[in-house]
Formats: sequence, structure tokens, C-alpha cells
Amino acid sequence: MKRIDQINRKLQKRFGGAVRCEERDGCRFVSGTLDTWQQVIEACDTAAEKYSKTHVVNDIRCQEAKPSALRLPSLRDQALEGDAPDVLIIGGGISGVSIARELSKWKLNILLVDKEADLALQASGRNDGEVHPGIDLGKGSLKHYYIRRANAMYGRICEELDVPFKRVGQYVCFDKGYLKPLVGLYCLWRKYHDGIEDTKLISEQELRMREPNFSEHFRFAISNPSSGCVCPYGLTIAYAENAVTNGARVSLNTAVTAMQVKNGKIISVTTNRGTLYPKLVINAAGVFADDIAAMAQDRFFSIHPRRGTNSILDTKAGVLMHSIASIKELTLKKTHSKGGGILHTVHDNLLVGPDAVETWEKENTATRKESIDTVFDKQTKTMPKLSRRDIITYFTGVRAPTFEEDFIIEKGRHTANIIHCAGIQSPGLTTAPAVALDIAQMAVGLLKQEMPVEKNDAFDPHRRGVPVLREMSDEQRAQLIRKNPDYGVIVCRCEEISKGEILDALRSPICVPTVDGVKKRVRPGMGRCQGGFCSPLVTKIIADEFGIPISEVRKSSAESVITYGKI
Amino acid sequence: MTELTCIVCPRGCSLRVDGEGENISVTGNACKRGEAFAVSEMLHPMRTICTTVRTSFPDAPVLPVRVSAEIPKERIFDVMREIKKVTVTKPVARGETVIENVLGLSVDVISESDMLLHEKQEG
Amino acid sequence: MRNYDVTVIGGGPAGLAAAISACRNGAKTLLIEREARLGGILKQCIHDGFGLVRFGEKLSGPEYAERFIDELQRTDCETRLLTFVTRLQRKNSGFDVTLVSRDGVETVHSKTLVLATGCRERTAKQVSIHGTRPAGVFTAGTAQHFTNLLGELPAKKCVILGSGDIGLIMARRLTLEGAEVIGVYEAKSTPSGLTRNIHQCLHDYHIPLYLSHTVTRVFGVDRLEQVEISKVDETMTPIPGTEQILDCDALILSVGLIPENELAETLGVSLSPATRGPICDGQLMSSEEGIFSCGNALHVNDLVDYVSESGELAGKNAALYRGGKREWVDIHAGKALAYCVPQKLNRKADNHETVLYFRSREVLNDCRLTLTVDGKEVFAKKYRFLRPPEMERLTLDFSSYGIEKDTKIQLEIEVKGND
Repeated sequence: MKRIDQINRKLQKRFGGAVRCEERDGCRFVSGTLDTWQQVIEACDTAAEKYSKTHVVNDIRCQEAKPSALRLPSLRDQALEGDAPDVLIIGGGISGVSIARELSKWKLNILLVDKEADLALQASGRNDGEVHPGIDLGKGSLKHYYIRRANAMYGRICEELDVPFKRVGQYVCFDKGYLKPLVGLYCLWRKYHDGIEDTKLISEQELRMREPNFSEHFRFAISNPSSGCVCPYGLTIAYAENAVTNGARVSLNTAVTAMQVKNGKIISVTTNRGTLYPKLVINAAGVFADDIAAMAQDRFFSIHPRRGTNSILDTKAGVLMHSIASIKELTLKKTHSKGGGILHTVHDNLLVGPDAVETWEKENTATRKESIDTVFDKQTKTMPKLSRRDIITYFTGVRAPTFEEDFIIEKGRHTANIIHCAGIQSPGLTTAPAVALDIAQMAVGLLKQEMPVEKNDAFDPHRRGVPVLREMSDEQRAQLIRKNPDYGVIVCRCEEISKGEILDALRSPICVPTVDGVKKRVRPGMGRCQGGFCSPLVTKIIADEFGIPISEVRKSSAESVITYGKI
Repeated sequence: MTELTCIVCPRGCSLRVDGEGENISVTGNACKRGEAFAVSEMLHPMRTICTTVRTSFPDAPVLPVRVSAEIPKERIFDVMREIKKVTVTKPVARGETVIENVLGLSVDVISESDMLLHEKQEG
Repeated sequence: MRNYDVTVIGGGPAGLAAAISACRNGAKTLLIEREARLGGILKQCIHDGFGLVRFGEKLSGPEYAERFIDELQRTDCETRLLTFVTRLQRKNSGFDVTLVSRDGVETVHSKTLVLATGCRERTAKQVSIHGTRPAGVFTAGTAQHFTNLLGELPAKKCVILGSGDIGLIMARRLTLEGAEVIGVYEAKSTPSGLTRNIHQCLHDYHIPLYLSHTVTRVFGVDRLEQVEISKVDETMTPIPGTEQILDCDALILSVGLIPENELAETLGVSLSPATRGPICDGQLMSSEEGIFSCGNALHVNDLVDYVSESGELAGKNAALYRGGKREWVDIHAGKALAYCVPQKLNRKADNHETVLYFRSREVLNDCRLTLTVDGKEVFAKKYRFLRPPEMERLTLDFSSYGIEKDTKIQLEIEVKGND
């Protein structure tokens, strides 16, 4: 454990008197003024201890980081005014929705809010969808505590929620043969000490047989067969739909802007759609989790956003490999910057990335050419046949780590009726099913102190997704088309999506009647033409279904106008 | 001397026009139409308009239309305004007139397509 | 199972011509179109200028297409609309074609296939545009669909990237509809579209064209708000320090077309890296026996007249196809040529008049095209200029050239003054 005077000595040496660290209420507050964000990260890292529960709170003023106002939905109404849910969940990412679903096993009034126009619009929709094996996680962290349990839950949860999941296996590849004995020992350690049971070393020949297109320079690899892939936003939406079917409510375009706290208790929560009076608040607000904690007067950690960009490659490139791969290069630099890996997705694309860049901007998901270059430079070492020409699109997401680089899953330290699910970054998608169980239990425990909480006997764990016709046999497909001929009208040629599937998405439990909402649910526009052919058709289908003019259909948010009206 | 690009056909010949008024000579054209184009372009440039007109058919909200012959270039936006005033409510065939003698230019606005013949009317 | 001699996939101009000509040549023909109406992209190409070569008239896209549709109706071709091919398999000296439509799933058998699947547009991400992902970034064809088929205005103040013909046409079309087109930006140092379109779509409306410029970034979270324009060097790489920010609400991309050959690839058809269409012979038969290709799926054309021509040829040859061994001889295209279609000569069949289509790689003035057979010049033609956007067409009678199995056929362009 670092001592506070040691930390301050280091800070003094590195930054002169510009910053200092102070321990208060079991947290380390780092304050002062620095020029660059990189320095802020360095100063806070100096004060932070990996996996520690004593969190660093960043109070440094940074000249470079101009704080940008939180992007808020333009919607203003009173639809939620006076609403008094038993549980208010803030955040419609994988954490929030999985908690909502687990809580819907109880007879509770559950309301989930998200400020965006859809679920999974931030980190949960902007990651690679890997279900991690936990090979890189140390004992003693919450990440490690949850990973194996959660990984093992995936088969069942994805079956219940009707989302595709494939245990494709992961390879960490090495090009230095002499490291083999050392890495072998490491694997044994991971296996017996950390419980990563399935980890093992495979030979060059074995790797070549399984993935013939990997670099010929690889001499051996760590194989983790329990690793898999899932569609991250698909899983998020499925969880939320199941929660809603079981009685929870979801309110999108709803931003929490303030809280009233009295005597260590949240009394009310202000949103753009009215003031709420929840008994309990669950903070699953991703990069904004520290802001929510501050509103609740329970600030004991800081999030430092870390941006990552992934490229999606044509399904034609998907045939090059069928698993998840990364290359292990020996480097002395201890940085978080990385070039990610290559992953064969459940939709048979390849996903390449992500990189990792520290940023003060929580909502800037703009892509940059440098990110694509960094990732490709690294990943072509894993698979030389990888080509930038196969890129069909790319996207940036922002991770939400704390300086301790571990999750925060606990009740408020100063405020009684809040539970934090914060600092959720990789492998947060993987751990979500297990974390949700624990948080639901915690929440029920807290609620039971003030009200009776009964089991919801009507809870149905099964969710039925929109049928995926392109994956069916001709017979099955014909049968469905007989029932609904719209299943036979192909709208998106690249992904072979029918009008019937699009209409199903528009009639699903959480209807998001936008072009992106439909795209996330049933995939028109996800293919190589990127909606060039189908986006006008999808726009028209939405307009017809809701009886609105085409110019009122949006891409995503209320301001994302597609057309300006009749010519 | 004026240089023009012939727009009569995709060949897009570079034309050179010498002289003034009625006494001009054209070079660079590959065919007779190029010469005619250059003369017209120098004296009274003419253009065609292809656009759409609104309809009352829900699955064919617009019908492509064109002018039956070229119109003076400077009248393009006037004719566009006239076309915008019209809504087609009955199926019209390709070549059928949508606006007769538009703005007295002795040119009709005609349908480019038979598409409305196969469309369902509203209600 | 229903049986056909020829199945044409795609009911655009190439497919229409192929189906008509297959029928005319006595084949039992099936034409499959995934949309509700025949005509393909021509349905939304409401501007005129189509058909000059073929009909000697300036027709609009719908008018051109409907002439063929009318003709098709006079044949006994079976046409299926709103029907999508999900699978092609080689079976019983022919092909099983699996179709999905409102009627269900059906597999039919066809002796031959004509692939007339057209092309798709290159997207913003494929030309490395970075930044946010707002509404308001359209490919020209998508913007054209909104405007000309749905009657909706996709832009009020826009920047057009790429001087391809569709981009130029859309610049004029949006101007006519009252939108402001700030300019057309082209990364190459020469325009990509036809010269007459530069003239009648841009000059007529005072829309500036900026060569050697590209869009490098877009801004705006919901709807597009700004784009960043940069100058580019000869390798089309943006030059740092030349960035300029423009306010606009739409970016329309006309940055190239890619032949759609995903179905062809499932049957092992070899594609040419230069055209991205199937490698074919003078009969327009691909590397796979019985599979023919035409129109923009074969190579991107600038004139629909040639699309129809290749469709007719492919349809006819598919109808007359009786198997038999082919003997392919390469037609080598020299460095000055971007490509030549066909890439092969079938010694057994292409011994009469064979149509060659080619494009030069760069703008060339006063040049000479030569065809050499084993080093001996057998044909030459002078051109005042050759421009990459303007495809050239030649008819050659290879029967008199004494083509043997190992003959080297070479197409070259010589520029005057250079050897």
C-alpha cells in the first residue's frame, strides 16, 4: 500500500508543487492545476493503487481539458412527474438492463432511464462483444471475482434471451519460441491459482491447423476455449425487453440532471421529463457514473474516459479466421494503449481493434484515422491477410474505468439509498450477468428494510427475439412467410433482412422507431453497402407504420433529421 | 473566341466558336449537332428540365416529368415553380401531358413514366 | 421443380436486355427482380441523356427503361418481382436457384445464369472519412432515391464529394429543388464524370468544382453541421495545414461504384481486380461454365446504351449455350489502359466480331491504340483524346488474326511523341 507522503513526494518530484494528494473519507483526492490531460492521468495513476477500494478522486484542473456540457435530449415534458418507483436505474447499457431484468424477478416498480434515444448507445453498443475468459485478470479484483462465474452463465442467459452467442475460443499468440516454458508456467499458475480452468498452451502446428491464416511467425499460443462472442447491443436490448415484459419500465431520452439529498438519502431525482421520487437509485451510468455519484453526494471515485476504435470488416473477410486472437509482444512500456485484437463476430464479420487512448471527453465518439492505422499496423502482425480494403465501417466507444482499474459494485458510502455499478469497462459485458445477480440481491436487501418485497411468480425468463430468416432452413422460412408474407420481401440485400423482420422490430417491447433503432435490432444497413440501398426503404416503412411523414423519421435522436420535407 | 463543351451527346466535344452574332464559325465538333448547339448556345441557350411532380398516390409520391422540348435556359426556375404547383391525382401514361403549354412557352410538361398506371389510389 | 434455359438475375437495364435477347433466341427465360418495379437504378435517374447511341434520342432513365419493359412484355419471358435470390448452387449440368418472395421459398433449375446484379456505391467509410456519424451523409444514389422516388429533400446546403456522374446530376437536381450546393470536391486532379455533365450540371448553375480536394472529417452529432476539406497531393493524400471547415447540412458522396458480385463469388466466379467484375470472354461467359455477366456487374459503365448492349450479348449467348470446351487466350491490357473487357478470347467461339470495351488510366491526348498479335501490329486506331471517365468501344474481328492457343494478344496505347 502506497503511503500518502510517498505519493506526495512523487508528485512533488514530477510536477513541482502543481498537484497534491490528500486522503479523506477513505479516498485520495488529487488536486491542483496541470496543463495536459496526460499529466492528469499520470498524477492520478501515481496516487492510485490497482484494484484498491481506496479510490482516487480527480480534482485537478486541467488547462487542456475544456469541459463540454453534457449532451441532453431536447425533449422536455412532464411524463414522469411525480413517479415514485421502488428502484430507479440510471443507464441503459448492459449493466443497467441486466440489473433491471434480475430485479424484475421481484414484485417491484422498476424504472430504467437513459438519456439517449436508444439503449446501448454508449460503451455497450461500442465494444467488440467478446465474452472474456479472464486470462489477464488478477485475483483480488472484482473483475476476477465475477469473470468465471459470468462466463459460465453465458450459454444459458443467451438461450433464455434468444440472442446469438458462440464460444469461438481465444488465442493469445507468441512469436518468440523461447518464451514457451515461461508462458506454460504462467498458464498453470492462472489455472490453479486463479481458476481459469480451461487455459492451455497449444503448439505452432495446432494453431496453424485451427487458424491457418494467422502469421507464420507464431511459435505457440495460449488457448482459451471458454472465450466467446455475442452481439453486445443485441444482448443489451434483449435483457431490457425481457425486463419490460416482466413489468419493468424503460424511459429513453430521459436524463438525470440533479438530485435532492437530505440526511444521507436521495429524496428526489430531477430529469427532463419530470421529478422522480425513487426509494432506491442504481447508478449504472457508465462514463457518467462519477457525475451521478456526485449528484447523490456520494462522490468517492473518478472515471477517466478511455477511447477505443474498432473497424468492422466485410463478411468476405470473415472467412479468414473464426475465433478471437491477439498478439503478445514483449514491451517494457506499462501503458494501457493497445491495439486490441481480431474477432470473428456472431454475424460473421471481422472486428479489428480497439485501441486505447485517454481522453477527457466522455461523449466524443468521433473516429480518427490514427486509430485505424494503429490497430491495423498491430493486427496485420497477427494475420497478414487482414486488409483495410475490407473495412465497411468503424466506430469509437469510450470506456469508463476508475484509476484503480476495477469495478465498483457497492452501496453508497455516504448516501444510503444508492447502489453503484461503476467503473465498468472490459470485461464488463462478460461480467454483467453475474454482477446483475449480486446488485439485484443487494437492492432487494435494502428495499426489504422499508417495504415487503415478494417474488414475482409471473416472471418469465424467456424472451423471443425477432426471427432471423436468413439463418433458417428453406422449410422454416417458407412456413413463416406463409404466416406473414412480409417475411418474403427482402429490404436489405446485404444482410438479407425482410420487411417482416423490420416491422417486428417496430412492434417489439421497446420500440425505437428510428433508422438506427431498426438497424440495431434487425440489422438492415449493417452490411457492405451501409444502408445505401435500404435506408430510404426503411425510412418509408417507419413512416408508413406510424402514419407520419418521411421527414419526421429520424436517424436516431430527435435532432437527427434525415429529410427536410417534400420537394 | 469562345470555348464551349457540347452537351448534345456524351462525347462532350470541346467547341471553339469564332465570330459574333449571326456570323460565327464553329470548330472542334464531331458532328452537325455540335455546330447547331454552338450557334444556339451563343444566341439563345436552351435547356431541358427533368424533375418530378407530386402525386396523390401513397406508394408513388412523385412522378418523373420533363419538358417536351427545350426551353430558354433563363426560364428554368420559372418552369420549376409552375411544376411545383401541380399534384397529379390520376394515372397518366408515359408521354402524356401533365401541364400544357407551360408559361406559354409552347412546350408541355409530360410524364416520363407509366408507373402510375400500376399504382393503387389512396383509400 | 420448374426448369428454365436462362435465368437472369436483376431487372435493371442489363437484365432487361439480357432477358429480351434470351427470349428472342428461343430460350425459356426467367427474370428475377428484387424490387417491386423493373428498371433498376434507371427508375430514379429522371434526367435525360440516355439512349443516344441506341435510339438516337435523349431519353430519361424511366423512359429508356420502359422501352425495354414494353419490349419484354411482348416476349414470353417469365418475370418475378419482389423476389430475391438467396442461394445459387451448381446442380445437374445447370444451377439451382433459390428464391424468396411473398409466395415463400422456391428453388428452380436453370441451364445457364446471366448475372445482371448491377453495382453499389462506395461509402464514406470506404474513402476514409472520419469524425462523427450524423444524419445527412448520403451516397449520391441514396440522396437520389429520397429525392426522385420519395419526393423528399435530403439537403438544404450541401457539399458533394466526388465528381462522378451521379454526383454531378445530383448537384443540379438539388439546385433545381432549391438546395444550395456549396461545391463539388474531387480528390483526383481530373473530373470523374462526363465533360458534358460538368458543363450542364455545374457550370450552368454556377456550382464550383474543386479538383485535388477531399473531405477528411465530418462534424455534428445529430445532423451534419460541418465538413473539413483538405487539399490532396498527387497520391491523393491530404496535405496537412490545408484544412478548411465548411458549414453544411449534407455531404453527398459520388466516390465510385463497385460491381455487386457476391452471388457470383459463391459459385467460384473469378473476378478481375481491375474491374471488380467477372473475368469473361467475348461471349461474356465468366470463368465458370454457363454463367454470364453483363452491365455494371461486369464493369462500371458510363452509358446505359453499352449496358444494354452487353446484356443483349450475354442473354443471347446464354440462350445459345450448349456447353463444349472453351479455349481461353488472354487479351493483355497495357499499362496505359485501366482495363479491357473482355479479358479473354475464347478461340472456339470469339472468332467473328468481338466487342471490346476499354478505358485509359489517365487523360491522354493525341494517342493511338494498337492491337498486337505475337508482336505484330494487326490493328490501330487514333484518338484525339482518351479520358478515364469515358469508356471506349471497339469491334474487332479476331478470326483474321490467326489466334492460336499460345498467341500473345496485347492492347496498348501509344501517346504521340512518346514511343
